[in-house]
Amino acid sequence: MARWPALIALLLAGHVLAAGPDLAAGEYLFRAAGCANCHTDREHGGAPLAGGRKLATPLGDFYTPNITPDPDTGLGRWTEADFRRALREGRGPDGRHYYPSFPYAAYSRLSDADIGNLWAYLKTVPPVRQANRPHVLPWYLQPRPLLAGWKRLYFRPGPFVPEAGKDAVWNRGAYLVRALGHCAECHTPRNRLGGFRIGMYLAGDKAGAEGGLVPNITPDKATGIGRWRRGELIDYLKTGMRPDGDSAGGLMAEVIDNGLKYLSEPDIEAMATYLQSVPAVTHAVRKPKPARDEFEY
Amino acid sequence: MKRKISKAVVLGGLLACVSAGALADEEEIIKYRKNVMKAYAGHMAAAGAIVQGKVKGSALNHAKALEATVQDMAGMFPAGSDFGETNALDTVWSKRADFEKKAKDSQAKAAAFAKAAGGGEAAAKFKELSESCKACHKDYRKEQK
Repeated sequence: MARWPALIALLLAGHVLAAGPDLAAGEYLFRAAGCANCHTDREHGGAPLAGGRKLATPLGDFYTPNITPDPDTGLGRWTEADFRRALREGRGPDGRHYYPSFPYAAYSRLSDADIGNLWAYLKTVPPVRQANRPHVLPWYLQPRPLLAGWKRLYFRPGPFVPEAGKDAVWNRGAYLVRALGHCAECHTPRNRLGGFRIGMYLAGDKAGAEGGLVPNITPDKATGIGRWRRGELIDYLKTGMRPDGDSAGGLMAEVIDNGLKYLSEPDIEAMATYLQSVPAVTHAVRKPKPARDEFEY
Repeated sequence: MKRKISKAVVLGGLLACVSAGALADEEEIIKYRKNVMKAYAGHMAAAGAIVQGKVKGSALNHAKALEATVQDMAGMFPAGSDFGETNALDTVWSKRADFEKKAKDSQAKAAAFAKAAGGGEAAAKFKELSESCKACHKDYRKEQK
């Protein structure tokens, strides 16, 4: 008998959910935003979204936080307003600034509806009790108020505004690349203060995320992906296979396996449309091939 | 005849000397495996173009080549070959069992593609092989140069 109230509550909850946030949409956004990549310590077999993954950067080692709904170590006590502020403004519920290792510069561009759906989905993942690990930073980067200055220099909050004069497909692609996919976070090189270098949007980095090489993905023919055909770019985003037969590795393989391969065909096509439209930047990140000694075909 | 044999002996002796120099050996295997991977990628791209119907040709021939190109994927990454011009991550050696499992899986997927390449399953098996390349690269390769 005691089961009845629970069942009724469940039915009511289901009804309320159906009218409110869209969980399926939330899961889709969660994939597109790639949350699981950084917030899971996959290398050490960490529980999904419980954090603890080390992001090694030239400025120090950041450890990602637990974003499961655990009340003590995760986001269990957060409200939707807290979540919205974290994404939009890069601030915690206590008001302190986040380091831009959390890509709020991109997530700030998410729409209100998408933030709501993403939050609804995040509340449904299994809670994991795992305390956050503090970042390991040099003393001069530890005071968080410094980040207010960083934000003044490099952070312009606010949702994505569709560009007039561009069609819906292009704008959808821009939203996916700039806001959800946060591609620039790795693919745009940064200056010494961790701000994006001007005029180098998506132009790659010789020693970027985790010290690896991050390719130039602008349409530059010599140093970017300007020689890729549209179909090749679409295939790559869906499967990770490059036109030369090589397969994506490292972080990009994670981005594809946990995110891009779940996206709809129109969304992948929109991303390709947008990526092929950004300004071509000549920026060689790969070591030039030796003139001799190497087989050329 | 005698001269030929003695030449072979001298050559053999030289080879033994070279392989005794362990460092040279490791550099050679790094170059070797890079070339093997390049050949592999070439056949992947070629087979992909055929199974996706972009060009006409025999997917089977490329599939057979893929199967034949790598006899021992993990064996191309012996201990000590982690220095110099390689994009192999340290995890290739520190997580050896998993690395070997993924390497073997790729070889099995290549064999399965070779079996299926003439039929209707070709595209599906090709996709599985490509997935296995990515699965291994995800944990064991990082582009560094």
